Amino acid sequence: MTAPLTRQRPPRTRAIMLMQHAAGMLVALLFLAPLAWTVLATFKTKAESGEPPLPPWPVHGVSVENYFSIGQFGSGLSHYVGNSLFVAISTAILTILVSVLAGYGFSRFRFPMKAMLFVLILATLMVPFQSILTPLFLILAALNLQNTLTGLVLIYVTLQLPFSVFMMRNAFDAVPNEIAEAARIDGVKGLRMLVFVLGPLVLPGVVSVGLIAFLNAWNEFLAALVFLTDQDKYTLPVLMTAVRSGRFGAIDWGALQAGVTVMMIPCIVLFVALQRYYIRGLTAGAVK
Amino acid sequence: MNNRNLLAGMTVAVLIAPSAAYADSFTMWARADDSTFMTKIVDAFNAGHADKVELQIVPTGELVQKYAVAAAGGSAPDALSLDLIYTPSFAAAGQLEDITDLAKSLPYFDALSKAHLSVGTYKDKIYGVPFSADASVLIWNKDLFAKAGLDPDKGPTNWAEIRADAEKVKTLGSDIYGFYFSGNCGGCNIFTFTPLIWASGGDIFADNGAKSTLNSPAVKDAVAFYQGMVKDGLVPEGAKTDPGANFFAAFATGKIGISPSGSFAIGALNSQYPNLHYGVTFLPGKDGNKSSFAGGDNFVVTKGTKKIELIKQFLDFAYSLPGQTLLAKNGSLPVRADIAKEALAGLDERYLIPAEAMNVGRTPYSVVFNDLINSPNGPWNTTLNNVFFSTPDAIDQGLADGQDAMQTIIDQAAQ
Amino acid sequence: MPAGRSRGLPANSPPAPGARVYRRKRRSWAGLIYVLPAVLLVLVFFVLPLCMTGWMSLHNWPLLGESRWIGLGNYIALWKDRGFWRALSFTAYYTVAATVGLLGVGMALALFVERPRPGVGFYRTAFFLPVVVGFASASLLWAWLANVDSGLFSPLMRMLGITESPYNLLATFTPAFWLVTGMVIWKMSGFYMVILMSGLQSVPTDFHEAARIDGATRTQRFLHITLPLIRKPIALALILSVTGSMLAFDQFYIILAGGPQNQTMTAVYWIFNQSFVSFRLGYGAALSVVLLAILLVLSVIQLRLLRDREDGR
Repeated sequence: MTAPLTRQRPPRTRAIMLMQHAAGMLVALLFLAPLAWTVLATFKTKAESGEPPLPPWPVHGVSVENYFSIGQFGSGLSHYVGNSLFVAISTAILTILVSVLAGYGFSRFRFPMKAMLFVLILATLMVPFQSILTPLFLILAALNLQNTLTGLVLIYVTLQLPFSVFMMRNAFDAVPNEIAEAARIDGVKGLRMLVFVLGPLVLPGVVSVGLIAFLNAWNEFLAALVFLTDQDKYTLPVLMTAVRSGRFGAIDWGALQAGVTVMMIPCIVLFVALQRYYIRGLTAGAVK
Repeated sequence: MNNRNLLAGMTVAVLIAPSAAYADSFTMWARADDSTFMTKIVDAFNAGHADKVELQIVPTGELVQKYAVAAAGGSAPDALSLDLIYTPSFAAAGQLEDITDLAKSLPYFDALSKAHLSVGTYKDKIYGVPFSADASVLIWNKDLFAKAGLDPDKGPTNWAEIRADAEKVKTLGSDIYGFYFSGNCGGCNIFTFTPLIWASGGDIFADNGAKSTLNSPAVKDAVAFYQGMVKDGLVPEGAKTDPGANFFAAFATGKIGISPSGSFAIGALNSQYPNLHYGVTFLPGKDGNKSSFAGGDNFVVTKGTKKIELIKQFLDFAYSLPGQTLLAKNGSLPVRADIAKEALAGLDERYLIPAEAMNVGRTPYSVVFNDLINSPNGPWNTTLNNVFFSTPDAIDQGLADGQDAMQTIIDQAAQ
Repeated sequence: MPAGRSRGLPANSPPAPGARVYRRKRRSWAGLIYVLPAVLLVLVFFVLPLCMTGWMSLHNWPLLGESRWIGLGNYIALWKDRGFWRALSFTAYYTVAATVGLLGVGMALALFVERPRPGVGFYRTAFFLPVVVGFASASLLWAWLANVDSGLFSPLMRMLGITESPYNLLATFTPAFWLVTGMVIWKMSGFYMVILMSGLQSVPTDFHEAARIDGATRTQRFLHITLPLIRKPIALALILSVTGSMLAFDQFYIILAGGPQNQTMTAVYWIFNQSFVSFRLGYGAALSVVLLAILLVLSVIQLRLLRDREDGR
């Protein structure tokens, strides 16, 4: 176990590396298999999607009828995709705005009750929001926001805040003080400092905060289920429960898989496109 | 038929036109299970009237919760087609309008389903009137019966025959099963399992729902009957965890010999599985006899609604012969006994079995029906799931515990 | 408040070692304005409902009809509620299993993808991908895979010769429990991988070099150098996992509905049932308050334990 030995890279090390890759590939396949299985299953015919998915790909011909049947629920699939997109995008934008401001405030300023307010925001993480659903409903009703997508967005933003504010504060903390100092000497202050000087430096954090907010809002189902009473306003996950309850309760597994696929695709595409920012942002949030 | 509907509708529309200067509307919710006939009857009403019904279909499992939450938030619909068993609890909560006068003013009041009205009544006032009906029955697969050497036209008439027929069918293949029931579905089992107890002279409640009698001989017999079939492999493995998703679908695959089901299955099988040959008979007791769960929906009105006149118009339409015929054609039994035969005329004659079963049908009365029976986590479902799939010596203890758990909830609600 | 006094300070305080700090962080109300939107949202949609929860917990509060003050009645009833304590102990059991699994698998994955190696980008993406799929979608997906009639696992087990007849994984407690726990580990360990990976990457390599020259084995180096240095990411992962698992609901609701026979009923599920199935909102609120207290105590204990060790060094 001496240094020169490792430098030479004997065949044993290469064998170990190969074995590591073999194990890595196997685990990676395990992680990807359920997703692949679902996507493949959606292209089976109606009759075949009731059968066990072995092999996973369609045997009796490729078909998109599962997508047609999911498209026929309620006001049409595109309508619900629209609802979900509205909720998810609004949540992402609002979360970014609010948490960047708060992160900046918590990182770069001293003000009364700062520690208490920070803990207060983080404390949101500790409370099962399921348990405050009813008061939330009463509050939304008082604000005339119950059964609206806007009300749902506000709730989602609040649920995102502890993580997002924590992360943005750390992102701002990580910016070397000299940069802000130099800008201040140039007379840059306040919001301008935030947007033009610090903003680009915390962009990975912003992207990951936005991305996580988008994904969580896109995927959330319990609050949407309770707060939205009007079927025109359902988001995709709620639509899926309606599909699952179905006529006579019979589960149309094919349509369900198609719906799950429609729900998964944007998440996967967004993540793959933005993962560099995302993981860097997440990392910045975790180290501090 | 459509023309007649339209004509009837237009006549009504013309008659009421002077009083209604502008078109009005009321909102109504119904569960997804009812979406076929609900959509049809609302469309027919809207086509023939200046005033409209705005129908909202809600997922079956969430209707009660959504209605309660909406009511608490002040956005409840004006009316609701409510699974009849929930009428007592909503009436007890003070959420429903007393419609005794409206109900008694109907000329055919005496012909309306008694089971519906019994659960529609709370403290001598009527809060719900029958809207749709569904009776539980036993269905069997004629093709499998024939293949197994049984008489395809003769359904079982007691438990021993069910068991014997199921055993015969099971011999047909490893993926063919004799009997199916949803083993993790309180709603399914109150609908199809209690009639077996009733037809054998027992019950799960006494004193009008104030006392649980789950730990009684007739219940034990019925449980042992199911449990024996499970133990001997006559029931597929999936039954244990079926929350009702396969309640209808399992039989429809054509691989099940016998299954307790409901009248809704007739329409659904005919339209979706036209090649499946099946028979319909009564749910029997241990030694014969027959019973049924009188299910379906009660029509209830949210307290304080201002649309009561409009609602009455809609009810009149639904109770008319065209209305009842439309319902019957789309999966609900008629709720007016006086015109039931007429409404069912020309339809699959197998409907006559559940229509008759409806007359002997019963509906348990409880203000905590959901907690006790329908909730997947309630004592009825967890107890049955436990005893159906355990061993014979576990039945006594399981039922005793279940009775205690049910009694606790009943007593809690009474406080 | 000292706020007013300290606000005047910066202007005439001497340029001491602390000067940089106070110039960067001036004590003023400006910061408050920046955090105000976040604070307002939290006040309206978190603090207020939380206070209402506390208030409701002292009432007999049906969803419909009048509520009635009953003081501590709900808390007394709760004390005798066997179902709740059973749900709570199940939740604790699940939390231990899930946390060990998530941190263990997460750590193993993190060690594997920490350093650059051929294909590391693919590995990271593959391990992380299930994280971005929602809990509802993932649960629906696994509910399908596990169902005995048209799912994957039962025929797969028959093909592999593990069972002879169709096997219903969801029908008995042990397989059902591990199926759901496995689903959670599948879905979430990528998340913990990233958190732990960030910690691993921040460990200076010369520490390892030095130890290696001193003859420390790989395991020794991991236990005595790496682990202490990534205490903070571990603490974060631990708290997130414990809190998340203690609040588990979706997966048990969607895949198992609390079954078989309520044996996988979690604490939040029990609260949900009391509030939204039985409509005993006051009672549900009291349960929420108790669960909240338990979570707070757990978090404080975890922070203490990890901080004490830090101080001891």
